[in-house]
Amino acid sequence: MSLPHARTIAGLLGVLALVAWPLVFSSPFDLRIFTLTGVFALMVIGYQFIFGHVGALALSQATFFGLGAYATAICAVKLGFSFPTTLTLSVLVSVVVALFIAIPVLRLSSHYFALATLGISQIVTLVALEWVSLTGGGNGFAGVPLPNIAGVVIPRGWPLMLLVWTFVAVGAVLAWQMMRGLYGKACHVVREDEVAARSLGIDIDRIRLTMLLLSAAYGGAAGALFAHVNRIASPEALEFKTMVLCLTMAVVGGRTKVAGAIIGALLIVHLPEWFRFLDRSYVMVNAIILIGLLIVAPEGLVGLIDRILPKARGVDMAKVSAIRDTPKASPPPRGALLPSTTPILEVRNLGKRFGGVKALDDVSFELHRGTITAVIGPNGSGKTTLVNCITGVETPNQGVITLGGAPIGGRMPHDIVRSGIARTFQNLRLVDDMSVLDNVAVARFEAEGAGPMSALKVGREDPSLLRAYAYALHLLHRLGVEDVHRPAGSLAYGVKRRVEIARALALDPQVLLLDEPAAGLNESEQNDLAARLQDLAASGVTLLIIEHNMPFLRTLATYMICLDQGRLIAEGRPREIYENPLVLDAYLGRGATAAVEPEPVLAEVRS
Amino acid sequence: MLQLTLNTLSLGSAYALVALGLVLVLNATNAVNFAHGALVMLGSYLAFAIAMVVPGQGIVVLPLVLLSAAAFGLVLALIAYFPLRTKPVVAVFIATISAGSIFENLVLLTFGPEPRSTPPILGNSMLDLGGGLAINEQSIAVICAAFILIAGQYVLFAHTRFGRRMRAVAQDPDMAAASGINVKLMIAFTFMLAAALAGAAGMFLSATYYTSPTDGGNYMMKAYLAVTIGGWGSIPGTVVGAFLVALFEVLIPAIPALIPGLDAYLPTTTLFSMTSSTIALFITFLAVLLLRPQGLFGEAIKKRA
Amino acid sequence: MRRATLLALASLLCTSVANAQAVQIPVIVPLTGPIALEGTSQRNGAVLAIESAAPLKVDTTVLDTAGAAEGGANALERAAGGKGVVAAVAPMFGTQVLPMIPLADEYGIPLLTTAGTAAITEKGSKFVYRFFPSDMVTKRAQAKYVLEDLGKKKVAILYNSTAYGQSGFDALTNYIKQGGGDVVYSDAIDLTTKDMTPTFAKLKAANPDVVLIQMHTGSMALLLRQYRQAGLDIPVVANTMLTMPSTAALLEPAELKGVCAETSAFIGKGVSPALDTFIDTYTAKYKAAPDFFALQQYDGVNMAIAAVKDGAKTPGDVQKYLASKTYDGAAMSYTSDGKGNMAHSAVIVCFDGTSRSPALVKRYEGKPTTN
Repeated sequence: MSLPHARTIAGLLGVLALVAWPLVFSSPFDLRIFTLTGVFALMVIGYQFIFGHVGALALSQATFFGLGAYATAICAVKLGFSFPTTLTLSVLVSVVVALFIAIPVLRLSSHYFALATLGISQIVTLVALEWVSLTGGGNGFAGVPLPNIAGVVIPRGWPLMLLVWTFVAVGAVLAWQMMRGLYGKACHVVREDEVAARSLGIDIDRIRLTMLLLSAAYGGAAGALFAHVNRIASPEALEFKTMVLCLTMAVVGGRTKVAGAIIGALLIVHLPEWFRFLDRSYVMVNAIILIGLLIVAPEGLVGLIDRILPKARGVDMAKVSAIRDTPKASPPPRGALLPSTTPILEVRNLGKRFGGVKALDDVSFELHRGTITAVIGPNGSGKTTLVNCITGVETPNQGVITLGGAPIGGRMPHDIVRSGIARTFQNLRLVDDMSVLDNVAVARFEAEGAGPMSALKVGREDPSLLRAYAYALHLLHRLGVEDVHRPAGSLAYGVKRRVEIARALALDPQVLLLDEPAAGLNESEQNDLAARLQDLAASGVTLLIIEHNMPFLRTLATYMICLDQGRLIAEGRPREIYENPLVLDAYLGRGATAAVEPEPVLAEVRS
Repeated sequence: MLQLTLNTLSLGSAYALVALGLVLVLNATNAVNFAHGALVMLGSYLAFAIAMVVPGQGIVVLPLVLLSAAAFGLVLALIAYFPLRTKPVVAVFIATISAGSIFENLVLLTFGPEPRSTPPILGNSMLDLGGGLAINEQSIAVICAAFILIAGQYVLFAHTRFGRRMRAVAQDPDMAAASGINVKLMIAFTFMLAAALAGAAGMFLSATYYTSPTDGGNYMMKAYLAVTIGGWGSIPGTVVGAFLVALFEVLIPAIPALIPGLDAYLPTTTLFSMTSSTIALFITFLAVLLLRPQGLFGEAIKKRA
Repeated sequence: MRRATLLALASLLCTSVANAQAVQIPVIVPLTGPIALEGTSQRNGAVLAIESAAPLKVDTTVLDTAGAAEGGANALERAAGGKGVVAAVAPMFGTQVLPMIPLADEYGIPLLTTAGTAAITEKGSKFVYRFFPSDMVTKRAQAKYVLEDLGKKKVAILYNSTAYGQSGFDALTNYIKQGGGDVVYSDAIDLTTKDMTPTFAKLKAANPDVVLIQMHTGSMALLLRQYRQAGLDIPVVANTMLTMPSTAALLEPAELKGVCAETSAFIGKGVSPALDTFIDTYTAKYKAAPDFFALQQYDGVNMAIAAVKDGAKTPGDVQKYLASKTYDGAAMSYTSDGKGNMAHSAVIVCFDGTSRSPALVKRYEGKPTTN
């Protein structure tokens, strides 16, 4: 109990130190530097959306910053607009340019995204340099007036400093409020594992776009303030140098915490000023200190604080248990009212080619509510392709897949998840540095309709997150996972499997696809899992299990499908399948494959 | 036309050397070494300093530049890479930017802010090839030297035990470590090799084009662009990317002069200005990424584990 | 903590200095980053003037503005807090000076600068003093020399795509057209451009009879070398950057043959005793030949010192002196035109192909034009 208090005290001390700063260092010079710190802090808080929360290395924040500065400068000088108008225009210009940038680059991955955003920034800089009549060219656009709010001019020194820091405070609270709820957890999953995020029905492209636009909006506002503080908009603000400054602040301070942005800006702005007495060597000393800081605190200074004063694990369970929003015994599937002979999931003539290879060839089968169907087949027989086609990761070349009577072909993966098909992964895809509870709760993202704006409306705590916690707790309990506050990465393998199943169940699926759920489990764990899966099926969830492990399936599966070289070679009750000569052939016929298969499988098949 | 092609080749070879060093470290460490541009600049000044002590043609100075640049590569690895090896990649990103700034200011404090020139490899006079065509001896020497260094690097990687080990580290460091390769040592060598290539490029570039302490950033940008256009991590792609960058710098702005009468049809004379060509380069680059998101020679991207 | 101690120490020092009735002239110039070369010359000239102010004791702090736009204003705000500041040396980089102007107005501290950018004296400030002939003077001289002395009318202009290049290009175009010439070709060259061949190809096609240049040191040296290698022999009249010893050092004397340049004043021995003294002390102190940035800034700081010697006690007094008096410096005579432009004459120098020092060819004396 002492640790959370220590964190609260440290936080309060931090805020106090920030308020005391301009009171202690109150010369006009110190105030000016502190004002600039605020401007950069606002830019970095914005940058954290795209760079920190969804982990995309965008190198365009300086462009938004510079555009904001130019928009304010030009509108204030040429058109004589007052501060509220110019500020709005600055934000708008940046957001519109961000939308424009997003079209070509948002889907690019990692380094390509980084350089594409950098390329666009270079183009904007060159245009600003060349379009002399509008921007003043290399000289910049000078003569920006002080901010004028409803006829009152905000003078330099304390008033301007307070104006800037008011924006920082408002921006910080908004960012914190947006990202601490369920939406922030969803961003965390997007950052760590895009495949997992898609499997939870999270629309990655939309989140990344939202984050980029938020970054641009903050960057534009910071740029507008910069123009007022510095009285000029010049190409320097657009340049890669400014981008490096922003990135350095974010990395040194901390990537996802608002406090990190403020600490980073404070340090990076003041560092060179503290070493001015070293003549020209101060630049080198500055760089050496930066490297030192990175070695000591690679996760940023806020990360260092987290290490010294770790966050108390867990959430306020009293609040969670106050929410009575546990899932009903059986979710109400859309097909529930159909006659029981109507299949929940129907696959008709499914075909998928990769080049000349037929990964799936005219596969047809159907799943009925509450059944447990197993898909078996040697390696390379098309099992994973089947799962990928059903979940929308791959687009089939032919055939129809219907869920509860409605075709789902051609839909985006996250859309298919939302319509009721959930999956787990053969090689577990939990987010290791999130708690078990968070990992499961984040699956409620879509059901709760979490978004940045809805997060803004609420008061102290995000109610959708509390509801998601309550839901997740119930499911974890049902799967026998008790230690819900541990980071998922620290769990035993078998427990991770169950957490992943709980996460998939939190999506309220009608159909659950399990990709080799027994892999890596010992016998007692397998038995335990089989019992829980049977329990699930009994509650109305339809299961499709991809598996090699015959002993595991023997008592579990009610129906079996065998694939070989993309074709469905046999289907029926397990007993029939075990005796089917085609199935035996498929497993025994290829020596190389058989050697890879675990021995018990063969023994089981022969028996 | 031929003149412009020769110039493109000469500039492209130097850029290829710069970009190759970047891609070597990239493959071995999965991190962009943002001090690489500064190493190129450092190479120029090392050549300048060595030439003051060791008089003679560039060919004599070159080996010494390669060695001393490699030493700086090792220093870079020790201060900005190894302490952060297991840390997030962006930490290395910022550390190498800082290291680049240290190199830049070290040079500024030692040599002053004046631009400098280094001795040419063989000579700097013009060879008359007849038909109004002349080429600088240095340009030919740069093309040859770059070719030899690139070929040498290829031989090293493809045909020596040492090179195969370096390649193994680049492909899968964990696997390499498991099979008994000293991964740290190999990475240190990679940094040294990359720095040596950067140093050579720096010397070639400054003999023809001069170098100032702040030139590193520009070389970094060019190399980064070449590596990404070519396909992240692909060596042939990088070389092609470097020539493409040079093409936009030399050949594209010259188009109005190559096609007589074109001027009459152009809406504005600035369409082929230097700045427009740079903008065109970036637009081409974006178009390449839009059509081939993995670069010209890249394979589909693996997500980092 | 450490900073607080330093501050306390600094303020202690300042008080003791103030007691001795010393004045202070802070030197705010770029010493790192892309314009360190010009900034360093400026500092050298300013510091030389301050050190040779005896018997008057002048204190100074040198503050680096690096390349950032806010660097100049930050440094001025810091320096303005010091005791006894009567004037400040401002960067030759116009983009940094522009944000300094509102601050200088507010503190009432005159800025002594060598920035050529036209805009800085167009802001209506009483506190900007430019000790370098502006584009109005130098570009007019360059154009006049080409049109009248060389008799060339078909002009090509090559310039860097920077503030300096752009404002010079605008002025040149203007004066060439006014004088009846024609700009047949122009090209903006990026500072990072390595190969100028495409520009030369287009230049040849346009067939000008003279080439005017408005470029920075390294870029210009590169251009001239490749110009010679490309076998071009159209006469070249460059901007003042060519006369910097560090530019000429990059080129062989033969490559400079016949090339002319405008500059503020001819820097050579035997013109005047004041200039001889400057060249001797500068060379002795810095072991390098002075350039026009150093010379003009030296004169600028000396004029402020002259004001203090004349009895000026406050920055306001110094401002009045700068605005109303004429000062005979080492390079030329300085009088304000009412906007703060102090230097009104320019010269044309040419290289003869045997040495890296140019010879004086023509002098353009201007008069301050008050409007």
